Amino acid sequence: MRISILVLLAVVGATPGLAQTPIVDESEPNDNVRTADSVALGDQARGVVNPAGDVDTWFVDLPAGQFLSVDVDAAQVGSPLDATLELIAPDGTTSLAFNDDFDGFDSRISYRVPQSGRYYVVIRAFGATGGPGLTYAINFDKVTCPVVGTEQEPNDTPGTAAPVAIGDSGSGEVCPQDDNPAGDVDYWAITARAGTTIELDVDAAALGLFVDPVIALYASDGTTQLAFNDDEDGADSRLQYSIITTGTYYATVADAAGSGNPFPYTLHVRSITPGPGDPITVRAQGLGRPWGLAVGNTGDLFVSDLTGNRVVRVSGQGVVTTFATGIPTPQGLAFDAFGKLLVASTDGAVYRVTPQGQATRFITDAGIPLWIAVAPDGRIWLTDLSDRSLRRYSSTGQFEARFDAISVGGSGPGPLAIAPSGEPHFSQGTEIWKLANGELRRVLRGAFIIWAFAFDVAGNIYAPAPAAGRIQLFDATGAIVADTFAIGPDAPQAVAFGRDATGATVARLFATDPRVGRVFEVNPAGVAHPGQPVGYVAPRFPLDVAAASLLGGGGLSAADLQYLDALGNHNGRYDVGDLQAYLRTVGGLPGARSNR
Amino acid sequence: MSRSRWIFAMVAALVAGTACSDNPTSGSSRAGTLTLRLTTPHADDGAMTFQVSGPPIDSATVANASIRLFTRRESGSTVIGAVVGALDNGAVATLHVPDVGAAARYTTTVLEVADRQDALRASLAGYALTVAP
Repeated sequence: MRISILVLLAVVGATPGLAQTPIVDESEPNDNVRTADSVALGDQARGVVNPAGDVDTWFVDLPAGQFLSVDVDAAQVGSPLDATLELIAPDGTTSLAFNDDFDGFDSRISYRVPQSGRYYVVIRAFGATGGPGLTYAINFDKVTCPVVGTEQEPNDTPGTAAPVAIGDSGSGEVCPQDDNPAGDVDYWAITARAGTTIELDVDAAALGLFVDPVIALYASDGTTQLAFNDDEDGADSRLQYSIITTGTYYATVADAAGSGNPFPYTLHVRSITPGPGDPITVRAQGLGRPWGLAVGNTGDLFVSDLTGNRVVRVSGQGVVTTFATGIPTPQGLAFDAFGKLLVASTDGAVYRVTPQGQATRFITDAGIPLWIAVAPDGRIWLTDLSDRSLRRYSSTGQFEARFDAISVGGSGPGPLAIAPSGEPHFSQGTEIWKLANGELRRVLRGAFIIWAFAFDVAGNIYAPAPAAGRIQLFDATGAIVADTFAIGPDAPQAVAFGRDATGATVARLFATDPRVGRVFEVNPAGVAHPGQPVGYVAPRFPLDVAAASLLGGGGLSAADLQYLDALGNHNGRYDVGDLQAYLRTVGGLPGARSNR
Repeated sequence: MSRSRWIFAMVAALVAGTACSDNPTSGSSRAGTLTLRLTTPHADDGAMTFQVSGPPIDSATVANASIRLFTRRESGSTVIGAVVGALDNGAVATLHVPDVGAAARYTTTVLEVADRQDALRASLAGYALTVAP
């Protein structure tokens, strides 16, 4: 990587070459603006950050409008110095710009000065370290924007956009040549046919620089923004868009951070073939930042809204109502054995929400519960980011066991689901692992971050890859079945199978799409199997047995009685209120009082 | 056991109970139905268990379609039951008996009542059940 950075900077050319560069050595003390050392544009300043906490100050006199480049060479030429750089205004106190890392650990500031005067540059060691070996060089010069790549400046408008074909790549440099407050905005013209889904993928940070590009797509009028992305791929950007009308579209690449530092980039323009789950259908929108997803026993969708600190219910007709409020940053959702919705919140609790929408803190001994699932036996599983563990609780919320997941690597454990085998599976980032017989085993390794996945009855895994803007499909062994199962979503986060009015899981797959605040359904024609039933599977005792037991006839185990009590009023014994709750749960209540 | 089998067993038990009863019906008895009526101080009762003791009861059925009834013979002369539904003042069950003239000899007890949110009533004051033609 270090070599590539060096090659890159050599190609960029925005940093002047070092040959024939006057060298100015520091003269201590130079710890403040009054004792600063003098340099001129074109000079290379040299010094040492020594002892610990040493501050070296330099000044340069500049005319108004000068586009100053201050570029540190230290770590990239072998110095142990991790420099920070600050530009101070002529008043000697106002900080105009700061940079820690641009080229690896080396700093750079590019700044167009608004007025003539003496400007000060301060270099320090990150962490206030220092020592005789912490040498540096600072190149003072003007920012120049040479021709780089396939772009042709000026290309700051749709009319001057550089063409790039689908399947091809364009390259250039974001380098502000004038005092446009937006900095440099590079336009690219793309001709696309209706029915095509295009992907625009910018690599800049991926080239090894600490930079932050953004990308946008505009309609043929050049002004109507169709899509935008900042950090889909780390600091780099990526977006997909389905073309409806054949024509010329415009992509722009710019600097999100507005640091002024020039940086090179490559823009990849691809066409993506739809998968069997395409096209998608939007079922609800305007949901804030929808995250977790669970399906109720009548087919309603329950969605956690991160920004609204709430859970919303989406009916089969797409009607959105607020179901529960006051749950901070709600994440994963699951229905417990008693029909109540469990909501993992990063405030450190799992909330339990009654069918009437009343939320109370339920599990409170997990540090950062992220995702939650309920097994067929009613046990509750959750992932805890605070200690990176998988935790198991009884159906009534008593802690039972903890499984350390640090050893699997990644950044998880994260999203969680129960496989048809009954084994909990979780994502640790790009991989899905399972807990089998007390041991963690890897199931699959993907190319992208995997979010909240779902199983069908055949054990196939539908895995959202928000960074790639699509859902992927793996079989039960972890082999990929469809690299692109659906590309319609913008950034799918959680998937869940639908249920019909009887509560049976069906071959309909829904997903949250937080970036655009919607819930969508993939094309059901592409879903081969019904979903694996999720959550608790109620005991198979008949109503009459439940009633007879209440009336003194026995026939139920202690566990059954505990279940029935927890289903109802949870007062420690099985009573007529619990029988009523059971009838309601299994659709046995007469008339309109049944909720199924 | 399916519901039909359970009812069958219950009826068989009731019949057996009748056969072993200490109160055999006389030749002047007249079979028919009696109504089990509830008096409640609340308007949101959702479920109740009760006990009826006294002369034989052949079977019991719900008084209307908004109620679900479950019964079990506790002993030869006692039946306990549960009704679930929109309970209100008035008829909750119909008792099929071999002697409607013995209505006054039945005694009743309200055992438990839950509201429609499944919460058990802390007090049963004001509740009453009567058996009458």
